[in-house]
Amino acid sequence: MLRISTIALALGLALPASAQTIRLGAVLPLTGPAAVIGMQEQRGIQFAVDEVNAKGGVAGHKIEVLFEDNQAKPDQSVLLFNKLVDLQKVPAVFTGYSGPSLAMAPLAGRKKTLLVNGGAQADALDKASPYLINTIPVLAGELDVLATYLVADAGKKTAAILFENNAAGIAGRDDFLGSFEKAGGKVLAQEPVPFGDTNYRPALLKLAATSPDVVFVVITTGTPQLADQVRQIDAKFTVVGSTFFSDPELIANPNAEGFTHTQVLINAPEGMAAAFKTKYGTEFDFFPKQYYNAATVVMICVEKLLKDGKPVTGENLLAALKEIKTFKGLTTTVFNTNTAATQINMNRINGKQDNLLKVIPPK
Amino acid sequence: MLWLNLLLNGLVWGCALGMVAVSFSLIFATTRFFHVAHAAVYGLGGYVAWSALKHGLPEWAALLVGIVACGAVGALIQKLLYERLDRSGATHLVILIASLGLSAVIQNSLAAVYTSNVLQYGLPWGNRTTVIGGALLTNTQMLTVGFGILSYLGAMWFAHRTVLGKRMRAVASNPFLAEITRLQPRQVHIAVMAIGSALVCIPGVLVPLDLGLQPFGGVPILLTATIAVIAGGVGSISGAFVLALVIAVLQNLSLLVMPGEWSIGITFGIFVIFMLFRPRGLFTG
Repeated sequence: MLRISTIALALGLALPASAQTIRLGAVLPLTGPAAVIGMQEQRGIQFAVDEVNAKGGVAGHKIEVLFEDNQAKPDQSVLLFNKLVDLQKVPAVFTGYSGPSLAMAPLAGRKKTLLVNGGAQADALDKASPYLINTIPVLAGELDVLATYLVADAGKKTAAILFENNAAGIAGRDDFLGSFEKAGGKVLAQEPVPFGDTNYRPALLKLAATSPDVVFVVITTGTPQLADQVRQIDAKFTVVGSTFFSDPELIANPNAEGFTHTQVLINAPEGMAAAFKTKYGTEFDFFPKQYYNAATVVMICVEKLLKDGKPVTGENLLAALKEIKTFKGLTTTVFNTNTAATQINMNRINGKQDNLLKVIPPK
Repeated sequence: MLWLNLLLNGLVWGCALGMVAVSFSLIFATTRFFHVAHAAVYGLGGYVAWSALKHGLPEWAALLVGIVACGAVGALIQKLLYERLDRSGATHLVILIASLGLSAVIQNSLAAVYTSNVLQYGLPWGNRTTVIGGALLTNTQMLTVGFGILSYLGAMWFAHRTVLGKRMRAVASNPFLAEITRLQPRQVHIAVMAIGSALVCIPGVLVPLDLGLQPFGGVPILLTATIAVIAGGVGSISGAFVLALVIAVLQNLSLLVMPGEWSIGITFGIFVIFMLFRPRGLFTG
């Protein structure tokens, strides 16, 4: 036995901590420019798992999540996905960011491993693989709501687009362009910014020169810097965006006054948010909540399989998800397809508060 | 007035880039080591100043603490890493790889200590704007221009008017001759690393004051600065500074005629063609 353990360790194979432990995987950006979100996603998963384990686990089985750092790089993600599935035999892998998720999606189908995305919103994720589930709506649904609100309710007829030059940003640009023009508006100009770059000024100046009613922004980091630079150029347009504007630092920034955005509804009880802050020293904001919810969805599926006496495999997890269909996590998450439907709100930042403008129930 | 706003933005960015280029030029021309970890020292300066500010130091003192810390780190890198590798006969490629490794260590340590969040200095005066000829500039941007010009003039004065500067140029010009004429090149290397590292702290603080502080923020700016150093002519302080201004202005003004996706590619494409005709750079014979 000792010899087997030694050989296994020498080959880099970790033996299960306990026969009762169910291992899941997560490939997230834990270093690099995207780590600001990746680490929050990691905390959300770990918080949900710790909570369940503290109560005795899922049907008596402890849950362990093996985290791997992909730095938001698609090629690195593929290697790490293979490592988790082939060496650690995990039945499910949490993922974030559109590019890495899309890179792992074909492998998930081939290896029949459930890939669980709780934060990325590129439309291509919707049908990327039968084994990729999205516990957050893709961007098209959100931006359809935004464009309709802007044209029909707010009377904004012209727009310009500032987008992050990556999979999520380009998808956001295309979605908004299609939805805004379908709603009767006109897009006057569009400008990209490199991922991680917070110098938006040249692009903002160029977009402002076309005098749009609104500038739609789809960026994942640096929204407080964006607000400062919008104010500095004395912009006359309204800045609009999606759930990415729910950044507490942006909401607290006086220069973000009037920023209008869609918000995928997800709320946490006050006690839970306080416990999270005590544990990690950061707010229980949008991304940890989403990944807490994603982890809860997976653990409910695991529980069903264990109660039914079925092995916890990716194939069985997917079947359980489709059978359960409606999950009562931090928000009601309904899987009519591989992508969840949830309530979307229209919000506006005023007086350092994110205020509700309109509720749009799930279709 | 879009062109004027873009031109001024380009000049401001060019001054920040110019400070990085001048500091890198001083080090590269003298040591011939491709000091990639300069990007990490740039980042370190910003975080040291940020910490000093959060501990209640006034802005000028925080900047000074950052400058001193970066200078010391630069000297230590030279003494404890590059000099040892050089003495043991390591090739410049090995030193480059060591520098890359050190850069990763510093940047990831910064991310571990300060998180990868984009941090803000939170100095409201930095964001206040002034109208200049119809264009808006923030106080931070105006400070960047001021420090950029002062840094360039200071580097020129140092290189041409001081004893150490003259020793530095002699070492850069002929290391072997400098050795046998007792100019002590290794001491010069340490001094130049300290001065270059102290200098890069200034844009390391001013750029994040404007755009936010990120642990990996130094990498793209160093890459562009390196191109300015090479296209300007290795060893030419004026070449590095002027080319940094030209690159930044071209990148900004190109937005007038093309979408941003093409801006960086076409700007650097022009430099590739330029290098074909002047492979030793603009400011060398």
